[in-house]
Amino acid sequence: MAAATVVALVLAAVGGVSTGMRRRIGSAHVAGAVLLEALLLVQAAVVVVGMAGGHRPAELATFLSYLVSVVLLPVAGLLWARSEPTRWAGTVLGVAALAVTVMLWRLLDLWEVTRG
Amino acid sequence: MAERPGPEPTGALGGPAAERAGGTADTSRGPGRVLVAVYAVFALAAGARAAVQLATRFGEAPLAYLLSAFAAAVYLVAAVALSRGGRGGRRTALVACMVELVGVLVVGTLSLLDPAAFPDETVWSNYGQGYLFIPLGLPVLGLLWLRHQAEADRAR
Repeated sequence: MAAATVVALVLAAVGGVSTGMRRRIGSAHVAGAVLLEALLLVQAAVVVVGMAGGHRPAELATFLSYLVSVVLLPVAGLLWARSEPTRWAGTVLGVAALAVTVMLWRLLDLWEVTRG
Repeated sequence: MAERPGPEPTGALGGPAAERAGGTADTSRGPGRVLVAVYAVFALAAGARAAVQLATRFGEAPLAYLLSAFAAAVYLVAAVALSRGGRGGRRTALVACMVELVGVLVVGTLSLLDPAAFPDETVWSNYGQGYLFIPLGLPVLGLLWLRHQAEADRAR
């Protein structure tokens, strides 16, 4: 979870940098988004295993909708940034990455309410 | 601008960006695409939250939850209108941004004056404080972008 947050923040920063440098997105962005997506999928798997083991986070419906949409965000952001020819492509990806950060934070919040 | 034979290949940070996205005014290109992305995220976030709240505890704060749902709908309209562009899209986006701006100002003010009327947070409570005040800045940016587009259109 912490790793995914760090990757998301780095990705947002890289996106901002490429906008500042008036560049399109490159392999660093793609690699970052793929890494982030992989971490999110691992996290989703861990969560599913945890829930199968009887852990019930607070506000189950909210939690599940966050869990599903957070996995979709990097994919949507990357696809959309790739089709953008101007320097703003990096920012589009950055917005998606920041949204992932916020949602991870909320997910962790909900997950830990019922823990301990 | 003259074509610069790039000494920089498409590296880790990508090749040089196109300065202008074609000649047509298009609300979904360049900075506009960032706006659409933020609007889409907000439509998703506010919409999902409102759906859950309406489905699970409508009775607790019907006004707040309906407002959240309304805000989500406005964000969705703005995102779609901006991404479609054109005259109609711009007009729709203009209305959506104005509704948003009025909404966040009115609800923000009311939620400060009469907290009891808003027992649960909405996107627009306290001028969008729970969402880093993005709901307050977003319609302003949207309106500025639309004005910029309209000026670019007239200049042609």
